[in-house]
Amino acid sequence: MASYVVRRVAQALVVLLGVSVVVFALVHLVPGDPIRVSMGTRFNPDAYEALRARAGFDLPLPVQYGRYLANAAAGDLGVSFRSGDPVTTTLLGRLPATLSLAGSALLVALLIAVPLGIFSAIRSGSKLDYVATVFSQAGISLPDFWMAILLILLFSGVLGWLPPSGYVSPLADPIGWLSHLVLPAITVGVVSGSILTRFVRSSVLESLGEDYTRTARSKGLHERTVVTRHVLRNALVPIITVTGLQLAYLLGGVIIVEVIFAWPGLGQLALLAVQSRDYPVLQGTVLLVAVVFLLINLIVDLLYAAADPRIRYK
Amino acid sequence: MSAETATEAGAPVEEHAPRWRVLLSAVMANRLALFGLVVLGLLVMAAVLGERLAPYPPNAADVPERLRPPSLRHPFGTDELGRDVFSRVLVAARVSLQVGFIAVGISLAAGVLLGLIAGFYGRWIDDAIMRVTDMLFAFPAILLAIAILAVLGPGIANAMIAIGIVYTPIFARITRGSVLSVRERVFVTAARSLGASDLRLVTLHVLPNVLAPIIVQTSISLAFAILSEAALSFLGLGVQPPDPSWGRMLAEGRGFVQQAWWMGVFPGAAIFVTVLAFNLLGDALRDALDPRQRSAIESRGLTA
Amino acid sequence: MLARWLALFVVLLLGLAACGGGEPVDVDGDESADAGGDEVAGGTLIAAISGEPDQLDPHQTSAYASFQVLENVYDTLVQPTEELEFEPALATEWQVSDDQLTWTFTLREGVSFHDGSDFTADDVAFSYNRIIDEELANAYRFTSVTEVRAADDMTVEIEVDRPTPNLLANIGAFKGMSIVPEEFDDEMASSPVGTGPFQFESHSEGQSIELSANPEYWGDGPSLDGVTFRFISEGTVALTNLQGGEAHWTDNIPPQQIEQLSDDDSLVLESVPSTDYWYFAANQTREPFDKPEVRQALAWAIDREAVTSAAKFDAATVNQTAIPEGSAFYTDYAPYEHDPDRGRELLKEAGVEDLEVELMVTDEYPETVQAAQVLETQWGEVGISTNIRTLDFATWLDEQGEGNFDVFMLGWLGNIDPDDYYYAQHHSEGGFNFHGYANSEVDDLLDQAREETEDDARKELYDEAVQMIVDEASYVYLYNPDVVQAWVPEVEGYTVRSDRAIRFENVALNQ
Repeated sequence: MASYVVRRVAQALVVLLGVSVVVFALVHLVPGDPIRVSMGTRFNPDAYEALRARAGFDLPLPVQYGRYLANAAAGDLGVSFRSGDPVTTTLLGRLPATLSLAGSALLVALLIAVPLGIFSAIRSGSKLDYVATVFSQAGISLPDFWMAILLILLFSGVLGWLPPSGYVSPLADPIGWLSHLVLPAITVGVVSGSILTRFVRSSVLESLGEDYTRTARSKGLHERTVVTRHVLRNALVPIITVTGLQLAYLLGGVIIVEVIFAWPGLGQLALLAVQSRDYPVLQGTVLLVAVVFLLINLIVDLLYAAADPRIRYK
Repeated sequence: MSAETATEAGAPVEEHAPRWRVLLSAVMANRLALFGLVVLGLLVMAAVLGERLAPYPPNAADVPERLRPPSLRHPFGTDELGRDVFSRVLVAARVSLQVGFIAVGISLAAGVLLGLIAGFYGRWIDDAIMRVTDMLFAFPAILLAIAILAVLGPGIANAMIAIGIVYTPIFARITRGSVLSVRERVFVTAARSLGASDLRLVTLHVLPNVLAPIIVQTSISLAFAILSEAALSFLGLGVQPPDPSWGRMLAEGRGFVQQAWWMGVFPGAAIFVTVLAFNLLGDALRDALDPRQRSAIESRGLTA
Repeated sequence: MLARWLALFVVLLLGLAACGGGEPVDVDGDESADAGGDEVAGGTLIAAISGEPDQLDPHQTSAYASFQVLENVYDTLVQPTEELEFEPALATEWQVSDDQLTWTFTLREGVSFHDGSDFTADDVAFSYNRIIDEELANAYRFTSVTEVRAADDMTVEIEVDRPTPNLLANIGAFKGMSIVPEEFDDEMASSPVGTGPFQFESHSEGQSIELSANPEYWGDGPSLDGVTFRFISEGTVALTNLQGGEAHWTDNIPPQQIEQLSDDDSLVLESVPSTDYWYFAANQTREPFDKPEVRQALAWAIDREAVTSAAKFDAATVNQTAIPEGSAFYTDYAPYEHDPDRGRELLKEAGVEDLEVELMVTDEYPETVQAAQVLETQWGEVGISTNIRTLDFATWLDEQGEGNFDVFMLGWLGNIDPDDYYYAQHHSEGGFNFHGYANSEVDDLLDQAREETEDDARKELYDEAVQMIVDEASYVYLYNPDVVQAWVPEVEGYTVRSDRAIRFENVALNQ
């Protein structure tokens, strides 16, 4: 186990290093002078020189990369071309919104996927199973931005039950926070839920066909006991894996939904950075999302290995 | 990484019955897949005939005729500039298919090549290639595509490249996994001991035996690529005005949901039906060719 | 003095309570939710604006979103009334010397900045010299200025090298010419310190900016406790917020919804013609756009009504000159009609066949993209094929500056003095003449007009210049949009201004 952990962590570090190169390269691949371009009409020679010096653009590339890496490791991701604020502060400011959306969307997804997946596996081939399949297929084929618009139209336009967009800090106004959260969480949660349903179903199905299930049945255990004690417990590991991956995705991949709901999370920030050519902020966002993804992936893999000893000898 | 463990287990088919007949009968037997096939046929027709089928020139603005609800003259109504929504939805099919096929073509070519090399040569080459794919997997697809477009600049050609890059690693990984399980098989080792060259080994013995999962993944990736194009165009990074694209039309229709629901409903439905068709087709192919591979939904769960 | 300390103490306490969570929190955040709360006066007005300020340095920013906020934070020496005439603000009176070359401003006594420091002539001199010395965006408004100096604590003198009748417009037309404290530093670029009716509290990225009332304000107001500017990019969403009581005021109103909204009794919707104009211009440094016939062909080919209606529905008025009827410098001149045949003839005269035009627009202003698609269709009818190039605004401005375009479309906002727009855009030396228009007669007229101190004579000079500008299609002016804003009936005392300045100093929330 220990050697697997070491190998897996080392692997993640190598990938992380690669990610940092890609992220660093991002701003240098841009045709032209990114600082000049980002300033547009706000160009003024002093501010330009200051930004250039601060970004260290006159140094050789490897030195710049070394500096970027060292600074990033110390939590300094540079300053925004657009606002002049430190990128780290900007990113931290976006975390509450992103975390609330990711967390609640995952909750919605699990609330749909766990019951639907389990029952459609147990009653495989039944009407319910068919419904679950259709739901899953429709869910992943539906453009989430379209669903967002329909939900806004229905729940805040026609019915007037919920605010159409915006974000309120949970510390200032918990109820307002919740009411703003419902629509985006449903939008994202339904798509995630349709993916998870399929995973829950196949994991449970697989588990149902395993030896231990047959053994348990043959011992004459009650079906409910078989399912809860043996089937679900064993199906849990792959479900946790995919749930972890979904969480990683939700933390940085719900750009359009954040834009439509004016949700001030990381996805919206990334798009804003692209539109205003704020490369340091784009770099920071992409780096943070990738790091979180790698971290979640690492944790999930280690958990997986702890739960299923076979993995280690792969 | 966990995604590997499963794909590596995917065994290639070995039976040598005429594969296309097995495939066709499997697809025909599956009503959902048949639906997918019919939709695909209609799309290709729309894409090829496009303007000739369309009752109006898709970009012709006619402001006094704006925002007309669906009628016999305009089956899907008109948009805010008086353009015929039906004609635009029809012509946009070409854009979607074009972006889908070219982008997936890029991923397919690059991914399969990388996967073959990694799987066949193993060792440090394998390690290097797989670490690069891990790296690309570390970014959510849409974020990666947006970042690439930030460098390349918006536009349809760049969107194809961006989507192509984003979906390359999944092909590399699937190909590699299959190659690994085929590499030490009797027919490969036998051919190798007879002195076959690497190129010959790969093209004649390895590739045919890893095709099944690749075909399935192609269909699934087409669905994602079309969805990605719609998303990028929705954000204004893909197809540029005045050319129609479903994603762009949806974005334009967003401001008119209350006055002109038809502006968004029809392009939205077109995306939905097309993506659904490719997903259903992908799953049917998987059932027929490679039952142990992931379904469309599952692979989205792992790569989205 | 004691009262002041007490007040400071209370503010500190509130601040501590508010910041307890480690992030900026809106103290009055729940007021929107329960409109009709116990407070009788005051309250925090929530304004939904479409963009987020890029920065809050009034001398650096060019973003309208920034000015929406800064309008309420900073002051200028003089300011435009609703009728766009200049009235005292931080200066109470001013004189021009007989030779027209020295302007003397007497400053208002007892004004202090939000940080408590006193407002003096040094601050004015610092602000203006900063714009001039650092060559900031608005330095062109000071081209005739040779010196700005503090004669004493409360007197500022501005020396000019030629008569500058529009000096008041140059220093007061908008908050880009704000007076910032002499101690201005980088910090103040993101948390501004002004003399205006509201003071800056906090900025939550991607969400909102909070202002609170400035109790020491020199004017009448404010009666509100504060203003929160929320960034909501989607017009439909901003409206739903307004209808749902989540916001009190917005200017983010999709033009297609205006008609429907005017029947909505739960909202007040007002619309005022603005002095903004939208236009397209062909690059005269490129063939064949150097030929007036080609530019005129572009103008004759278009149906302004259709272009205008595509861009703004009913919320705009077509115009063939810059500013609308009713403005002091309006020129009544409209030679063009929608006449595709005439367009084709002119192209023939110019010897141009199969003309291909690249039309540069920006998604920052979606109306340019909308209008472009109609222009494409209409130019197509005279045999011109159009390639629409949609860019983000930064790139757009860059390309405009480099002269990399055939034709571009854009607007010019908040126009008060004609020197500002006719000279800048059509004089061969003008700072915004990116399309390379050069006509020595027009140059002469514009040179004379900017120094002419007699209003009527000045107007005549501009009338003459404008006719040439229009005839030669230097710009093809299209329309003047309306300023459309909406608010809930609880908002009292708000007026829509034709210069798009958004002022909440005299507004009350009647809850």
